[in-house]
Amino acid sequence: MSVTLPIPVFPGRILEVTLPAGPGGTPVTVGGQNALPLLPEGEHPNAPAVGMEVPTGTLELPAALAAAIGPFAGDPVAMARKCAGDWGARFLFLSLAGCHPDGGGLSVSEGAAVVREVLSATPAPVIIGGCGDEEVDALLFPAVAEAAGRPVFLSYAEEKNHRLVAGAALAYGHGVVAWSPIDINMAKQMNLLLADLGFPPDRVLIDPLTGGLGYGMEYTFTIVERIRIAGLSGDAALARPILCHLGDAWKAREATDASEEAWGDVGARGPRWEETTGLACLGAGADLLVCRHPSSVARLAGAAWR
Amino acid sequence: MHEPIFAACLRGAAAVLSLTRTTLDDAGTRRGKDAPLAYPDTAYELPVAFGLTDLRVATLADAGKVLDLAGTLVRDGATAENALDAGAATLLAADVLGALSHEKGNPYPPPAVGFVPDSTLRKLGIYLVDGSVPGVAVLIGKATDPAAAAAMVRQFQEIGLLVFLAGDVVAQLDAQGVKLGEDFKTFPLGPLPAVIHAVNFAVRAGLTFGGIGRGQGAAMLAYLANRVKAFVCALGPLDDIALAIAAGAMKAGLTVLSDQPVPEIPGLLLSRPAGDGMVQAGMEARGIKVKMVKVPIPIAFGPAFEGERIRKSDTHIEFGGGRSVAYELVRSAPPEEVTDREIVVDGPDLGKLPVGSVLPLGIVVRVAGARMQHDFESVLERRIHRIVNYGEGTMHVAQRDTTWIRVSTEAVEKGFSLGDLGLMLYAKLHADFENIVDKVSVSITTRLEDVEAGLAGARAAYAERDARARTLTDDAVSEFYSCTLCQSFAPNHVCIVSPERLGLCGAINWLDGKAGFEITPTGPNQPVLKGTVLDAVKGAFDGVNAFVRENSRNTVTEMNLYSIMEAPMTSCGCFECVLAIIPEANGVMAVNREFTGQETPCGMGFSTLAGSVGGGVQTPGFMGVGKHYLLSKKFLGAEGGLARVVWMTREMKEYLGAPLRERAAEIGMPDLVDQIADETVAVTPDALVEHLAKVGHPALKLPPLL
Repeated sequence: MSVTLPIPVFPGRILEVTLPAGPGGTPVTVGGQNALPLLPEGEHPNAPAVGMEVPTGTLELPAALAAAIGPFAGDPVAMARKCAGDWGARFLFLSLAGCHPDGGGLSVSEGAAVVREVLSATPAPVIIGGCGDEEVDALLFPAVAEAAGRPVFLSYAEEKNHRLVAGAALAYGHGVVAWSPIDINMAKQMNLLLADLGFPPDRVLIDPLTGGLGYGMEYTFTIVERIRIAGLSGDAALARPILCHLGDAWKAREATDASEEAWGDVGARGPRWEETTGLACLGAGADLLVCRHPSSVARLAGAAWR
Repeated sequence: MHEPIFAACLRGAAAVLSLTRTTLDDAGTRRGKDAPLAYPDTAYELPVAFGLTDLRVATLADAGKVLDLAGTLVRDGATAENALDAGAATLLAADVLGALSHEKGNPYPPPAVGFVPDSTLRKLGIYLVDGSVPGVAVLIGKATDPAAAAAMVRQFQEIGLLVFLAGDVVAQLDAQGVKLGEDFKTFPLGPLPAVIHAVNFAVRAGLTFGGIGRGQGAAMLAYLANRVKAFVCALGPLDDIALAIAAGAMKAGLTVLSDQPVPEIPGLLLSRPAGDGMVQAGMEARGIKVKMVKVPIPIAFGPAFEGERIRKSDTHIEFGGGRSVAYELVRSAPPEEVTDREIVVDGPDLGKLPVGSVLPLGIVVRVAGARMQHDFESVLERRIHRIVNYGEGTMHVAQRDTTWIRVSTEAVEKGFSLGDLGLMLYAKLHADFENIVDKVSVSITTRLEDVEAGLAGARAAYAERDARARTLTDDAVSEFYSCTLCQSFAPNHVCIVSPERLGLCGAINWLDGKAGFEITPTGPNQPVLKGTVLDAVKGAFDGVNAFVRENSRNTVTEMNLYSIMEAPMTSCGCFECVLAIIPEANGVMAVNREFTGQETPCGMGFSTLAGSVGGGVQTPGFMGVGKHYLLSKKFLGAEGGLARVVWMTREMKEYLGAPLRERAAEIGMPDLVDQIADETVAVTPDALVEHLAKVGHPALKLPPLL
């Protein structure tokens, strides 16, 4: 007796998006698939890419992170080289959280200088994250867009500031990460709003907001899955690559609390927590993962086989 | 009457072309035909040629080709079309002339800056895209009154416009002490011909920010017309050349305002005296709006205070609510009849009155906007409720002539006045209805005789509006509106909002949907063409089916608007009440969200029923609806309408009140409301059927539901 497996055939295809690299570097291309992730059917020309966050500003690192990246705290250039080199990150997420008034208070021009230095230190593709303070970001994005000597992605554009971020990206030829708070309608609307500004669709990534394991990961899973199914089903505004930033995994007490010995070695718990969150995102359909712990890069890259 | 102007444009274009040709030939003789020609610091060669033609310009010889092309655009015959094309030719030629003049950099003495480089364009362009620079003003010519011109430029700067100056005004404004330069977003370009650098700036904005490539002329003109919110103020007499340049601006869809008595071309060429009137007319013609970042009032203002109640003991003053005459009204008016931000308070104000005062109140908001419609007045008017509640220390209840407003003692002590109330309405209506409202004025009166006089007019307006609402029927309109707001949690649910079936949440009616679409064209309210009527009784429309199919991602392929049994509308989870079939009684019951009892004839309370109704799935026999749908002529048309309702919570009966009785009378069943059982009469199917038989409820005589 033979059984015919019901293999769905989707009419849509996810748009290919390339994160450009500097001279001598390897660009990262994601998207292009016409089927759900991690399944044998369909075409998956580009495997999901795993990158690492390069932090700036004052850091209060949990034990597991302190052991791994602590030596590079305060030196984003060295950190960027290490991530793109030994640790195997295919792209970097340079977080300018250090420009937040409560996060180190780097000035806008200091933030821009960090961008210049990191970009000249490594040819890896780079996504630059704002600091999260509305007023500072309003100055930071234009300054960073100008300072970046080669095309990068700016993260993130949300409904409130999308004109500014998109304007800055258009002015200097960068891409944008379009953010929405676990809301498929807003994810779609962001892409429509960007299209309305004339922003090229192949320079946009979706960031659906990633909750860590135990702290909303299941919501993210569902939204990523639904965005992907909608995109594959033919909704062009959602047929875009999805970026999941796993940083939230490190907000879980289970990942960082050393006082709970019964939970096992905290040095292993943190990375496991991040990996688990990342695996769920891959299963839901994420195309780009940003991690904080070097060990997650290899493990997640190994899992992201298609 | 425009012929003389068109003829002047043609002469001007010919003059500019011939001057450029001579200058180009001279340069060719001097430097050789293959000598390079370019502006300093730009990636776009000669931007006007780059944007509008497919000619590549690197040398003097290349520029000759641009002039050849421009020559073909100058045709005989003083028509509008010929004048506009001659305008385009003028811009092409002037850009060649501009580039020739920049052979050794900026040719003009300070403060003139000449060509504005790409680096400046990029920096400023971000703020044009962002909207924080709301538009562009180009001031050219020679002012009759330099002080008036200076006042205009200061006004531009205050609004935050990007300003370009060309002609004698540059020296005039400099002498007037107007601050010039990049820091003030005010660029003194040079003598009149240097105005081309404003044009090539705008063209480069389209190339950089509009995603427009080389030679996409039509796309570029559309971008300049629709995206670059620019207008030209031409001061002093207009000679042929100035007119030819103005024609070029008009070709790109820009509005030109002259202080001379020129014959007007609506939207393109206006005659206004220099000064505030010219500024306002230019901004209005181009749809430039000024945003109020923070509302300057002495109390906190925001959604956080929406739920705040002000108790009697904390009340300094109150209006309406049965204690005094009060009303609120939003009216739309032609733009010339509304002065933006005009807030007039007439009569006693808050500060001078003792605690516990009660005053009459009339609030009239007048709005104007190119996309404003009379139908939206009620949508904006209902927003007054929320806006007043946003204030810390202000409370609003009800609407229209039943409105009731309280202001707390604390707010009055902070200096809150009725003018501040007007400012709240002004700022928030602008912000919330940005796409449809261009001008808002508020007039508030607390004088009894004025309020009474105004009330009569307001009641006439309400009556007119209600009459209009009665003519808005599902049969009369050609499109419904969708609401997919709830897809964030009910991914495949699509609400179809028609004039006679409001959204199941009760918060969105057809007019809200219509306004919602105007406000956010990419948002959850989209027009849904009815298409062919497949079944008028069930409410089956092929346009609705197609929309629902696409937006439910093929999970709901058919949806009947007026049926609960056959392909009913899905529900998200926000419904005001649930309708559920009671087979034994051959009818349906209605239970509202607020009903906490668990005993109903179908054996389930609201929350249990809600669990089986929501989530965007069709469950024949069960449906979530808005309370007011029960009053609609289209209510359950397929199943016999209101006569099908056999049970309803007491609370709902009270809420629907007189209109429910009126509707029952309308269908010839004046006793129906009393025949409908509630939780005090029956909570089991048997008791219900017994009751219905006893009172002779019409549902028992209707065709079987199952």
